[in-house]
Amino acid sequence: MSQVREQIREFIVENFLMGEDSDDLKDDSSFLEEGIIDSTGVLELVEFLEDTFEIKVDDEELIPENLDSINNLCTYLEKKRK
Amino acid sequence: MSLLDLFEESASRFPEKTALEDRSGSISYSSLSRAVETFGKGLFQQGISKGQRVAILLGNSIQYVISYLGVMKSGAAAVPLNTDNTEKNIRYILETCRPSALVTSKRFAKRYGLGETEDISLILADEDSTCMSSKVVTLPEPDPQDLACIIYTSGTTGRPKGVMLSHENIEANTRSIISYLNLGPGDSIVAVLPFFYSYGSSILHTHLAVGASIYIEDNFIYPNKVLERMSREQTTGFAGVPSTFAMLLYRSNFSKLDWPHLRYVTQAGGAMAPATARQLKEVLPKTELFIMYGQTEATARLSYLEPGMFLEKPGSVGKAIPGVELRVVDKDGKEVMPGETGEIIARGKNIMLGYWGQPEETAKILRDGWLHTGDLATVDHEGFIYIKSRKSELIKSGAHRISPREIEDVILELDSVSEVAVVGQPDRILGERIVAFVVPRDNAGIDKKELLRHCRKNLASFKVPHKIEETDGLPKTSSGKIKKYLLK
Repeated sequence: MSQVREQIREFIVENFLMGEDSDDLKDDSSFLEEGIIDSTGVLELVEFLEDTFEIKVDDEELIPENLDSINNLCTYLEKKRK
Repeated sequence: MSLLDLFEESASRFPEKTALEDRSGSISYSSLSRAVETFGKGLFQQGISKGQRVAILLGNSIQYVISYLGVMKSGAAAVPLNTDNTEKNIRYILETCRPSALVTSKRFAKRYGLGETEDISLILADEDSTCMSSKVVTLPEPDPQDLACIIYTSGTTGRPKGVMLSHENIEANTRSIISYLNLGPGDSIVAVLPFFYSYGSSILHTHLAVGASIYIEDNFIYPNKVLERMSREQTTGFAGVPSTFAMLLYRSNFSKLDWPHLRYVTQAGGAMAPATARQLKEVLPKTELFIMYGQTEATARLSYLEPGMFLEKPGSVGKAIPGVELRVVDKDGKEVMPGETGEIIARGKNIMLGYWGQPEETAKILRDGWLHTGDLATVDHEGFIYIKSRKSELIKSGAHRISPREIEDVILELDSVSEVAVVGQPDRILGERIVAFVVPRDNAGIDKKELLRHCRKNLASFKVPHKIEETDGLPKTSSGKIKKYLLK
């Protein structure tokens, strides 16, 4: 799971934080509250999850509880891949 | 009369009614009116009034509305800024617009490195109380021609242009929209479009003017959250741009739910694909669908297509709204024949005063009492207007108007790039996606990762290209102009 966490962090940092691993990005930082991701960003994130982890993100699953922080993403992926 | 008078009228008719609700809670019309008055007086006592400007850098929220109306109440003009921006752009606007104060939050002040300067005082809306005053002062009544607000839009040259709107402009457009949408105090809406753009701002104006309720979602990142709120509050209206409806139809639960309370939906900011319109009608069989067209330069709205007409007139933006005259004219200013393409020109009390500090740019588009929109269109035998293309090359992506030139200038800063052309290509969700065609300087080619990183550093996130295409050369006319239409 720690590898998954790293992959997600790398994607967020590379794509939304201009490649700078900001100290502000904690595992529980809300992407929404911190202004890290906009609506196009969420679609890019979904594309990344689907390609990298070979899952299908359903429309019902597009909610902050699943996608809005590194922690939420890890929990969601764990559930999804069971 | 001004927007403020219309709002005050709502406050005296419906004092206890919810005017706005955001994440922090809700506020009634009477409380909102008091908060606006207090904010306005606070600014006035700091010496801010007619002839001055106050910039606002806040997301959609109750605090935004208090600040926006409060600035107008003080007699000054409000200058809402796009919160998804670069420091460079914000500084450019502050330097050229020279506001006396900037209302923002700690979060944005930090993000954009903003501090108090000699020229601008910083008001932190989330903690500052220095601008709050309940002392007895008489605030100035605005004249209809006074500047009420300046909305910045993408200029074709890459630099943002400040559209100056008077109190009369806003009042005229607000009344017109209310009349064709038949808005009243029984209406309510979940607002997802940013108030700092003209479409979002028109939703704010019209609802406050009739005593309707606005539920604020400060973004549209999670459509299902928005849908939940629409269902819970039984809202009667919804407003979006093409990408909003694409997201609803293709990436949310929207089509699986029932919407009996939804009286109408509106779309502006680009044509609705006939297929999308049909799907929308299937999900919303009883809801009226208004397709609309407008420009910030016209406060917001210029035309609308009557609901029920969109199957008969697919692709049309309808006819002029009440109080506006529209014509489609050729190069000599003569109205075109049905089927011929010409430029849309507009006249009415909603047409802007001009661009802030840019008399030459203003003179180019405000001529002989008409706004020359730069939009090319045809008209059919019954006078319905069909937009064909923009004369200027702005890309419409999501709710944004984007200047390709600004993106090209940033990409050209890289040594590895010799030439670049940025265009909008059709996209199912966004309307248009940004594609950059890049010619490398030598055989080494382009490091796409580096290029994107450079864009992310120097452009607002919604302006970063979605795709980079490396190419050996760009198609050109004999005079050397890039034939962008071949790249679209």
